[in-house]
Amino acid sequence: MKKLLTLTILLVLSNPLVAQDKKSSKATGKQKVIYKYRKYEKFDLGNLEIKGSIVAPGDLSVKERSRRTFSRDLYDRDNFNKEVIEDIRNLR
Amino acid sequence: MKKLVLILTFTLGFNAFASIDKASEIYKKPQSLKRDRELSIELFKSKYFFSALAFAKNYIAGVKELDPEFEAVIAKLMIKTGTMSFSYMDRKILKRHLKSPTLALAYGIRMSQLKKWNESNKALSNVPADHRFGPEARMLQGAALNMLMKDNEAVEMYKQCIKVSKKIEDDAAKEKLGRYYAIIKESCFIHLGRIEYRNGNYEEAKLLYRSIPKTSYRFPYILMEKAWNAYQREDYNRSLGVLVTYKNPLMSSYFFPESEVLRALSYFKLCLWEDSMVTIENYYKRYKTKSDALKSILMKHKRSHTYFLKLIFAPIEETEKLHPYVRNMMTQIRKKIKFSIDLVSYKKAQNELKFIKKLPTSKLKYLMEGELKETLKWRTTHLNHYIKKQMFDFVNQIHRFSYEMFNIKLEILARKRDLVWENKQLISSRSRGSHENLKRESDEHFYDFRGEFWADELGDYSFGLKSNCEKVRVGVAK
Repeated sequence: MKKLLTLTILLVLSNPLVAQDKKSSKATGKQKVIYKYRKYEKFDLGNLEIKGSIVAPGDLSVKERSRRTFSRDLYDRDNFNKEVIEDIRNLR
Repeated sequence: MKKLVLILTFTLGFNAFASIDKASEIYKKPQSLKRDRELSIELFKSKYFFSALAFAKNYIAGVKELDPEFEAVIAKLMIKTGTMSFSYMDRKILKRHLKSPTLALAYGIRMSQLKKWNESNKALSNVPADHRFGPEARMLQGAALNMLMKDNEAVEMYKQCIKVSKKIEDDAAKEKLGRYYAIIKESCFIHLGRIEYRNGNYEEAKLLYRSIPKTSYRFPYILMEKAWNAYQREDYNRSLGVLVTYKNPLMSSYFFPESEVLRALSYFKLCLWEDSMVTIENYYKRYKTKSDALKSILMKHKRSHTYFLKLIFAPIEETEKLHPYVRNMMTQIRKKIKFSIDLVSYKKAQNELKFIKKLPTSKLKYLMEGELKETLKWRTTHLNHYIKKQMFDFVNQIHRFSYEMFNIKLEILARKRDLVWENKQLISSRSRGSHENLKRESDEHFYDFRGEFWADELGDYSFGLKSNCEKVRVGVAK
């Protein structure tokens, strides 16, 4: 119980202290942070090493695959509805 | 002998149109529905059918229900003057008289022209099967149900149509009447075949098409459907054989651009690409001139209300001068049943006007003359429009099928390119015929084609070409 009480008091006291610290840094003025980047970076690819095992065949090869062919929708007759209508228009 | 002929002509002419004295007497009565009814019946009896129409329509518009005597009169008036006399009446009036089989037929025809299939079917069910308009009504109903995809009901209607039209055909005293009902019967057979075709029952369709005799008016028109049917059965040789029938001299006036497309397609399916290409090239050569000839006439006279009708009446030499194809087109249009019936009515109306002009002066005479002149004017425009439309439809067909031909050509070129990519070629550069490649059933005829057409062989030809679709490595081909 004593320990809990002590911890609570400590926590309550610590908050104003932090706020006071922020205020004090504002009062002293802003510090300018300058970030610097490298203008260019050089990679020596020849020097790079890749770890792992080679699975591709050593010589140049092309895998044969069939060409995809597209066929057009050629004319087809599903029904003779047009002729049925023509017939009844020419009936009498 | 000459005198006898003159007397006969005079007597027949005199009998053709009786006097209108009695009608004139009735006309003097005050205007009423009863007077219109009496006038139409009296003019009908005197054989002034077109003049009777005007009063009959007045009566129909005013009365609630038609009596059997008047019903019989309007049925005969419809036969004498054509269906258009009633089918173009105010729809509301027609709808009110659906109990009358004649007006139900007129309304059914109008509705089917407007593609209101349900309404057409409903109206036509008022025409009893044993009525003189029964066959037409059943055929129209079959077509309406066909369009509504109610196949079972449509089949039933067509079967009834075949049954009743056959009966009238057998009993007909006049040859022309018998022939008319034979055409209706055959049309119903064809429509049944079309239902089977649409449902993919090509064998059944084949049997139905085969029931149309070669002497029938419908025969040239169904060859195309027979060829399509063979094509769907993958019997491309039969399809090509049926189409070759169009090249016989008896059918020189028939033009079916679609038949050329089907020919090209059939060759294409047999992988006879060169034959396909030749068909396509020929199509462009053959139909371009026809299309140009028609277009020049159409463009010049498209606004005329009389030019095309005059063309139909013009002597053959005159239409031949315009283009042989125009003459053939006129022959084709004259063969259309509807057109020939309407044309006969038109001539009858002209004849009636001549007789009216000879009548003694009276108020009724002037009224009849004025009415008939209006009717003739309207019918002239109507017939002229019919011919013009047939011509326009044909030009449009040529253009439409040109596009389809171009598509086939492109596909052939693409297939050829694919062969090059595959380093292959077709087994033979040009495969030719053999009896081994024929598909024939026991009841199908077979004739060798030796450059001659025989009437009994028409439509039974088949090619014997071997399919060339096998691919081989370049250099292996025969």
